[in-house]
Amino acid sequence: MLRYVISRVKSSIVVLLVVSIITFFVLMIIPGDPAQLILGTEATPEMIEDLHKAMGLDKPLYQQYLSWLVDLAKLDMGKSYVYGESVTTLIAKALPVTMSIAVLAMIFATAFAFLFGMLSAIKKNSFIDYFSRSIMQLGTAIPSFWIGMVFIVYFGLRLKLFPVSGFVTMSESFLGFLKSIALPAIVLSFGEVGTLLRIVRSSMLDSLMQDYMDMAKIQGLRAGKIYLKYALRGALIAPITIIGMQFAKLAGGTVVVETIFALPGIGRLVLTAVEHRDIVLLQGLVMFITSTVIIITLMVDVLIMIINPRIKSVERGE
Amino acid sequence: MKNSKLLLLIIAVLMMFSITACQQENTPDDAAPIKTDLTMGYTTEPEGLDPHRTAAASTFAITNNIYDTLVGVTSDWEIVPRLAKEWDISENGMEITFKLRDDVKFHNGRDMKAKDIEFSIKRLKDVESPRARDYANIKDIEVVDDYTIKFTTEKLDVELLKSFAYPWAAIVPEEAAADLKTKPVGTGAFTLKEWIPQQQLVLQRNDNYYGDKAKLETVKLVLLPDATSMLAGFQAGDLDIIPLTGDQVTVVEGNAEYKVISEPMNAVQIMSINTNHEILSNEKVRQAMAMAINKKEVIDASMFGYGDQIGSHLPPTSPDYFDTNDIIEYNPDKAKELLKEAGYENGFDINMSLPKNYQLHVDGGQVIADQLSKIGINVNIEIIEWGTWLSDVYGAKKFDTTVVGHTGRLDSFAFLSRYYSNSNDYISLKTGEVDELLDRAQQELDADKRTEIYKEIQEILANKLPAIYLQTPRTILALQKNVDGMEIFPIDFYDFKEVYFN
Amino acid sequence: MKKNLSLGLGMILVLLILAVWILSFIYMPYKPNEMNISERFMKPDFNSEHILGTDNFGRDILSRIMYGSRNVLLVGVGSVTLGTMIGIILGALAALFKKYASSLIMRIMDGLMAFPGILLALMLVTVVGRGLKGSIIAISIFMVPVFSRLVYSMILDTENLLYIKAAKSYGSSKFTIFIRHFIPAMLPRLITQYSSAIGSAVMIETSLSFLGLGIQPPFASWGLMLSEARQFFLVYPYLAVAPGIAIIITVLGFNLIGDGLNDILIYRRLLL
Repeated sequence: MLRYVISRVKSSIVVLLVVSIITFFVLMIIPGDPAQLILGTEATPEMIEDLHKAMGLDKPLYQQYLSWLVDLAKLDMGKSYVYGESVTTLIAKALPVTMSIAVLAMIFATAFAFLFGMLSAIKKNSFIDYFSRSIMQLGTAIPSFWIGMVFIVYFGLRLKLFPVSGFVTMSESFLGFLKSIALPAIVLSFGEVGTLLRIVRSSMLDSLMQDYMDMAKIQGLRAGKIYLKYALRGALIAPITIIGMQFAKLAGGTVVVETIFALPGIGRLVLTAVEHRDIVLLQGLVMFITSTVIIITLMVDVLIMIINPRIKSVERGE
Repeated sequence: MKNSKLLLLIIAVLMMFSITACQQENTPDDAAPIKTDLTMGYTTEPEGLDPHRTAAASTFAITNNIYDTLVGVTSDWEIVPRLAKEWDISENGMEITFKLRDDVKFHNGRDMKAKDIEFSIKRLKDVESPRARDYANIKDIEVVDDYTIKFTTEKLDVELLKSFAYPWAAIVPEEAAADLKTKPVGTGAFTLKEWIPQQQLVLQRNDNYYGDKAKLETVKLVLLPDATSMLAGFQAGDLDIIPLTGDQVTVVEGNAEYKVISEPMNAVQIMSINTNHEILSNEKVRQAMAMAINKKEVIDASMFGYGDQIGSHLPPTSPDYFDTNDIIEYNPDKAKELLKEAGYENGFDINMSLPKNYQLHVDGGQVIADQLSKIGINVNIEIIEWGTWLSDVYGAKKFDTTVVGHTGRLDSFAFLSRYYSNSNDYISLKTGEVDELLDRAQQELDADKRTEIYKEIQEILANKLPAIYLQTPRTILALQKNVDGMEIFPIDFYDFKEVYFN
Repeated sequence: MKKNLSLGLGMILVLLILAVWILSFIYMPYKPNEMNISERFMKPDFNSEHILGTDNFGRDILSRIMYGSRNVLLVGVGSVTLGTMIGIILGALAALFKKYASSLIMRIMDGLMAFPGILLALMLVTVVGRGLKGSIIAISIFMVPVFSRLVYSMILDTENLLYIKAAKSYGSSKFTIFIRHFIPAMLPRLITQYSSAIGSAVMIETSLSFLGLGIQPPFASWGLMLSEARQFFLVYPYLAVAPGIAIIITVLGFNLIGDGLNDILIYRRLLL
């Protein structure tokens, strides 16, 4: 078990290195030059060259990469060209926004998926089953930016229930905070509900078909107790795995929602960094997001191994 | 067990909704005292708050409230005293001496003196400064005494005074210079209270300001890249001032709750042409293209009519402007004939690179492409990021055509100097017809004679067409009706000092 | 019975889109890129010349929706086909040559999966170039890890079955076994996955176009139409209706087919 975790951590570090190298060199290949972006339409070639020197961009690529790597080892991710602020600070400021939406979206999606997934499995082929299956299908088929636009107009403008853009910090006003993230979170949860609902429903169906369910029924236990105590417990593993994975994806995938609702999160920071060729900022963001995803995936895998040791050999492919 | 937790969760979620729903009703503002906190929407994030280290207009719009310049400019293009009380220009025009105010303090409490001016202008001439080239002509800076400073130029530049009015010529204290991007220290009427990137920037009144103090307590600038959210926030009353897009004017206008102000920008939108291109080097082809472009339609589509047609590279607001619109008029039939004469009866294919972040140019370019297709010119549009535009189009000159804007100078020379045949600019007029005229304009001390020279240059450009000149778009602002004192300036900045609620 | 409901409904929706696609080559009411500034922002009206109205350049929305179906289908089907093929090859290589290829290939797949999706697309598109080609390549790279992992785990699951062991003992080569035995065993799952993957590919394409990374103006794509509509959405909400519905129909159609096939090809086999 411990050996498995250690080997996973090792290979994760390799993955991170690979990702950082790819990011670095791709950014070097693509057109656009940070010095030129700073100097704008007034620049002469000599000015650009001088600024390159001042920024250290005239050194060979591998040297630039290595010095970045050395700084990273010292936990220094450097300063963004655009903002002149340290990358760590920028991430720290943007993270709460993205995390709040992602967490709230996951809460919405999980609550909805479990409620309707279970009902749908228990009352198979009933009206509620068809209803939740329709939601399941629509959830994955509706583009989040479309539903976002619709929500802004109806809930934001017509009914004036929610602010249409911007973020209110928790310390400013808790209520304002909830209101500012409610719409984005609902929009974000839309896509997740479909996936989760599907898993909850099918694993609940599996679980209901197990022998111990018949035993429980024969013993005359109350229906509610049967479903919650036995069936649900048996049906939990798959959804938990998916929740973990989906959450990891969400953490990096909020860019569209952040764009529509003008929220100052990680996703929009990524867009800004790419547009301004802010290599330092982008490198930091990529490292941060990828390691988050890897850590969550690892945690989920370990959790599953603890719950169900049989999976171990398959996962490792040995 | 599980059931009750789930139930709790659901109840919690439902409660949240009902709370949010109830809370909406109690809007404030009954007989409240006059507001002193202004909220304005803006579309583009500043690139740090160090005016010497960026070329971004979004930075200057804000920093002009935090820093001061030696002289200021009014909305009527008049140069007025600011940090300098008075100035004196030597007989030959090569020396300029400023007398400074002696009651100015930086935000950190230190007195501003002549050596700060020296430091700031030198810093503006650094390698890292995008504007260094503009100030290269200043060869000597002399601190005469604590409140007198003298600049000497290498060549005569008759517009030298104006170069001290631009927001990038801001005066900064040496001790704070390293961190100005995030911790700006100036002498201005406002200080930076808080900046949360991608979200908002709050300015706070400077109570030690030397002049009339700002009427507002705070100015909160909220970043909203999206025009729809912007208008929505304005209609909801969350925003006091917003920039409007042309299509939105109809929504705001006619509503007694709102005011709309609009001024022509000090800018030109042009379709630049690569005159090294085999076909496009032909003057007749360029003239044919100009005749095929219906500028009114371009303005209608990109600015919803909020723009003025131009025929050359100066905006109608410029004191040196000369109307060249009738030199080449819209006439698609004649355009076809000209193409035939030039030997391209069957048309040809060209590329058009459009800068993604500028909807105005992307929209304008699409309309032009459609119009050119009608005389047989097939335009392939490629939308590229601003960074790519700068390096490929502007820098490496790898393009056929592009639509872009050139902005914001107080003197015509700065607008037109890119047409020098040896300027190495992406639209320089390589045949050299304007070289000598530009030289003369920069040396001519008589303003009327200068205007004559600029008239001639404008006519040459209108005929030779190194670019096709499209329009001067307008800046449109929407204000809540209780907001007063907001003005639009010939340089892209806001001045919040005079803004107040009534 | 309801298994066929998913499949049937999915088929109907996809056939509808296919019909629009085919029709776009035969007849469109207007040229999709033709502008007419004086007739812009005409509201949808069944009795007018522009049934779905016109956009901010006065272009006919119906024609643009029809033209957009070409891009959406080409990118959707093209990218998934490409991604599936590469995914199968890589997954098979990793599973069949465990000693050499497995950890290398699967580590790269992990890297791709961990990479923030939109960032990957952003970078790929900037390298390859925006537009059709860029979208197809970017989305197919999205799909590669999905299929390679699927193939990898399916081969590991099946290789211990008796008939495969038997084939090995007869001395069949890895390649022969792969073609003769693994492929047929995997086919149902691959087909199912393929259909649903087209649904998600269409979704990714519209997101890319929405962010300005997909099909470039003036050409029409549904995501791009929505992105253009966003500017005017407050005043002219109808602009977003048609492209939104077109996207939903397409994604829903392919997903439903995937689900229906899943029920028929996989569940039925399990139960029998």
